[in-house]
Amino acid sequence: MARVWPASAPARSRAWAGMAEAFKQERAFALLMVGPAFLVLVLTTTFPLCYLIYNSLYTINLSMPYLDGFAGLANYARLLGDARFWHALGLTAIYTTVTVALQVVVGLALALLVLAIPRGQWFFRVTAILPMVLAPVVVGLIWRSLMLTPKTGIVDLAAIALGFGSFNWLGDPTMALVSVIAVHTWQWTPFTFLVFLASLAAVPPDLYEAARIDRASAVRRFLHITLPLIRPAIVIVVILRVIVALAAFDAILALTGGGPGTATEILNLYAYRAAFIELNFGYGSALAATLLVITLVISGFLFRLRSPR
Amino acid sequence: MSAIGSVRLRDIVKTHGPVVALESLNLDIEPGEFFALLGPSGSGKTTTLRIVAGLEQADRGTVAIDGRDVTRLQPGDRDVAMVFQSYALYPHMTVAQNIGFTLRMVGTPRAQIERAVREAAARVKIDHLLDRRPGQLSGGQQQRVALARAIVREPRLFLLDEPLSNLDAKLRVETRVELKKLQRALDVTTIYVTHDQEEAMTIADRMAIFIEGRLMQVGTPEAVFERPDSVAVASFLGNPPMNLVPGELDGRTLVVDGHHITLPHDHAGGARPVTVGIRPGDVRIDGEGLPASVYLTELLGETTIVNLRFGEQLIKARLLEKRHLREGDEVRISFNLPNVHLFDSASGERIALA
Amino acid sequence: MSRHASRAVILVTASCLVMFVWAFPVLWTLLTSLKPGVDVLAYPPVVIFEPRWRNYWDVLFGPTSILPHLWDSLAVSVLATTITLALAVPAAYGFARLRFWGRRALGFYTLATQMLPRIGLVIPYFLFLNRIGWIDTYRGLVLVYLTFSLPFAIWLMVSYFEDIPREMEEAAFLDRAGRFRTFWYVILPQVRGGIAVTVIFVFLNAWNEFLFAVLLGGKRVQTVTVHMFNYVGIEQTQWAMLSAAGIIAMIPVIVIGLAGQKHIVKGLTIGAVKGGGRR
Repeated sequence: MARVWPASAPARSRAWAGMAEAFKQERAFALLMVGPAFLVLVLTTTFPLCYLIYNSLYTINLSMPYLDGFAGLANYARLLGDARFWHALGLTAIYTTVTVALQVVVGLALALLVLAIPRGQWFFRVTAILPMVLAPVVVGLIWRSLMLTPKTGIVDLAAIALGFGSFNWLGDPTMALVSVIAVHTWQWTPFTFLVFLASLAAVPPDLYEAARIDRASAVRRFLHITLPLIRPAIVIVVILRVIVALAAFDAILALTGGGPGTATEILNLYAYRAAFIELNFGYGSALAATLLVITLVISGFLFRLRSPR
Repeated sequence: MSAIGSVRLRDIVKTHGPVVALESLNLDIEPGEFFALLGPSGSGKTTTLRIVAGLEQADRGTVAIDGRDVTRLQPGDRDVAMVFQSYALYPHMTVAQNIGFTLRMVGTPRAQIERAVREAAARVKIDHLLDRRPGQLSGGQQQRVALARAIVREPRLFLLDEPLSNLDAKLRVETRVELKKLQRALDVTTIYVTHDQEEAMTIADRMAIFIEGRLMQVGTPEAVFERPDSVAVASFLGNPPMNLVPGELDGRTLVVDGHHITLPHDHAGGARPVTVGIRPGDVRIDGEGLPASVYLTELLGETTIVNLRFGEQLIKARLLEKRHLREGDEVRISFNLPNVHLFDSASGERIALA
Repeated sequence: MSRHASRAVILVTASCLVMFVWAFPVLWTLLTSLKPGVDVLAYPPVVIFEPRWRNYWDVLFGPTSILPHLWDSLAVSVLATTITLALAVPAAYGFARLRFWGRRALGFYTLATQMLPRIGLVIPYFLFLNRIGWIDTYRGLVLVYLTFSLPFAIWLMVSYFEDIPREMEEAAFLDRAGRFRTFWYVILPQVRGGIAVTVIFVFLNAWNEFLFAVLLGGKRVQTVTVHMFNYVGIEQTQWAMLSAAGIIAMIPVIVIGLAGQKHIVKGLTIGAVKGGGRR
């Protein structure tokens, strides 16, 4: 009895059968899968960015439309000489480094602490999720109204009770910066905590035991075994948190609006204010573009740190 | 014997960048055979299997199944079934769904699928596991599911990629016997990849030895074992492997380690350096013969492996009895001459039996 | 023995302290939301009081009802999440699995777009959407949300797809399933966990979004996060109402967060381990 070869696979494949190589077919399928998403990606990111750069080369002032027109690099020139820009840049640097450093240190310390607790770790994980799922703007509003208001906010009352006295948490320039940094750290430390908890748990315990046999103290075990092994996690965490810190906006807006004055006006907020409050979209675009470049440069630099592993 | 499932590979070449995975391969597999592809890792045997399956494309050459050129055909259209080393079972489907998946893909009516699945499962004795998920099964059971999945559509060709390597030693030995029986019962051409020469020797009808991308020899296990074509093949088969000792051949005289041995046959071609191959079973430790000293003795229950220092070489002898020899003992060894192999030193190719 | 015990006590106390710090603001907000006007600003702060449930009633059904805004948030979030998933899941499969030339470049591009500061997108989007009349519309907002959720979703899903051994597809091909059916019947069911994680993150991000919502929304499309500001006046703040509104706004995310916490933790750690990405 002659054996029959199987009929060609269903119609869909038959449509592709025209293409000679399996590789080509694979490519067509890949294009179909990736194409739509990529198209949307390009449209929604490249296009606006190009438009941003384009606008930064123009004077677009909705409050004084008669001034509108091509400005070349005038916005950027102005930017370089703008004290408020440099102030914003400095604040951004302070804000970013302090919040990320705090997040990493506190998160790591906490992870080490919790790891040593034999049971009930799930409780800590669940509590940790709470701050992270909240909208930053809501967080800002809550802290502003319920926690940090002088004389009625809980934090202030606690400070009075502990003998530190009342502070103008959001009205005093220095304190405002401190508050803003504190709130950001409060909200995002759980992230570093959870990541470190996972990566610390992944360190094989035999290494510690071997070190103990070699009579290494707890501090040395930490420095020479733990830290190097979780270094990849630390690097990733730093990269992620830096990116988020550079882009932080909602909470600060809710807390201080950038003030008092420009005390908490990181570059992000300056761009926003220039565009949407002073209605100078051209200049705002230039500021935003600058922040963009800074973010890319820093991220690129940090990513490179990651590669030689 | 079945008349379907013949495979012809012609001039197959496969490279991965600068690395040559397969060098101009020509191979014929007859219908109904249990054919083993044997070789160390990286030798090209798995690549060959995947090229037959259609999962990889050769750079050059053709593949024909039952006379039809399938080189350009998709894996699904070649009417072959494969059992992967990791089984590749679909973890989110039940055993029954795993087995029946292919029938479902070609639109077989449901009643028929159920019947076929039950039959295939019964053949490999897993019909009681049809509602479980792969994650709930042992390694041996998963392997049977993979087999059932291959059996269920009665393909032209079975391709097995080291199917036993994930099982423990005892299970491996039991299962390979069952595999052979299954193949006989189904009468389907099977191509079986393995690196375990004992496995290949015991179940294959014929086998092909691959070393570093080259097909070295094809033949029945007996033929390949008793008449290896090259040093490479000779040293690959056999446990412990064949002893290889340099020597010089001239006519009827073989000079090994300064000692002259007279051979049963005369060999033409003048004086030349050779590699002498002696299986451990063909080394005798008697009272007379060539001098050697005992290096180490391994007592394996019913047999003894004696590691000997012979001149500058270390050779092994296998004795079918318990002999207590102490390290350092001076002994006399002799070789079972009719079974001594001679290979050309330079090319490694077989010259003759002594 | 006692040394161990005291060490344990210290550990637990310290950890609980931090947990308290994290949980406290939400708890305090909850408390405040139930306070009658008089107790809200009382000093010393009142912890025991007669709960005024009417606060919630006012927020939900009063003159400035939060309900239409809840609806706006829901609509935008659901739309954004659905469209994102529909685009991202196949794309991630393509990235992870199929060998094709542009893959590296695409991967890098996807990663890069995640790192953009939002202010850099808001400004051009504002000007652009204004021009085509898409300000204060669902479609405008959803389009913009795609900007940050799509790259993130793709990046998240890629690692889940990469975890599936290639042999799975090979087995399916040999089983005569074409590429698409392999994707649909064999691969997709295996990444259900990844899809759950992605849905959670994308939805949370969309729900909590503020910057885009406030600048590109308006009177008709005003999400909950934007609406919150209505309770904060220049002169005075309606504390209790603000708290109640805050709690209502937070309930969905807290519920999702708690219900999906295993997924969230996994998503975070996968994200961190495999490199790069937002919250």
